[in-house]
Amino acid sequence: MKIHVYAALKDYFQPEFEVSELVRNTDELKAVLLALNDKAAEILSACRFAVEEGFIDNAFKLNEYDTVVIIPPSSGG
Amino acid sequence: MNMTPSSSSLPAVADKPIDMIGLLRQAHHPGAGAVVLFSGEVRDSNRGQAVAFLEYEAHVALATSMIAEILSTAKERWSLHTAIAQHRVGRVAIGDTAVVVITASAHRGEAYAANKYIIDRIKHEAPIWKCEHYADGTKEWGNNCNCHAVTGDIHKHIYE
Repeated sequence: MKIHVYAALKDYFQPEFEVSELVRNTDELKAVLLALNDKAAEILSACRFAVEEGFIDNAFKLNEYDTVVIIPPSSGG
Repeated sequence: MNMTPSSSSLPAVADKPIDMIGLLRQAHHPGAGAVVLFSGEVRDSNRGQAVAFLEYEAHVALATSMIAEILSTAKERWSLHTAIAQHRVGRVAIGDTAVVVITASAHRGEAYAANKYIIDRIKHEAPIWKCEHYADGTKEWGNNCNCHAVTGDIHKHIYE
């Protein structure tokens, strides 16, 4: 599964990387990410997740071929 | 309703300086007695710290589709003749425009209300982020939307 992160998340993770663990939903993905860097806990709790340019929630079934975009809270304007 | 100068024909996210006068020129409409332009500009300080410049990043595809939806909703709700929004990415200097929203309607009340609705939603929802570069050489991703702390839902926001 490919992961893309943006903005403040790049202080905790590489902009693009892959996870090889079995990840079926966003909660499991968060757990994998926290295992990589537990300092990201606070910001991850406020992030949205997207696949193929659509936001997803924990009910969305992820598969190993997905590219998951992790969207920190907005700060435009 | 004038659909020409809307999100469908203008990039919602731009990596070059925003042509505010050009956008304003496109906003005029014979049925519009009011045109409201909001320009969000980079100021030279934030929370007491001198700011050198801002750098914006976006998920362009998501931001573009989201801004299109926001403009479409505003047009429908306030019967706008024109709704335009464009946000910068990349380095933006002090005093330059980071985001512009233009609304045109028959009367000013609708244009003002719609303009505020559009900029509020862009600031809270669009996947666009600012990194503040301070005069002392430090930098910080800043001013994130924190509505979820109150609403308990990262998709629910409180607009000013």
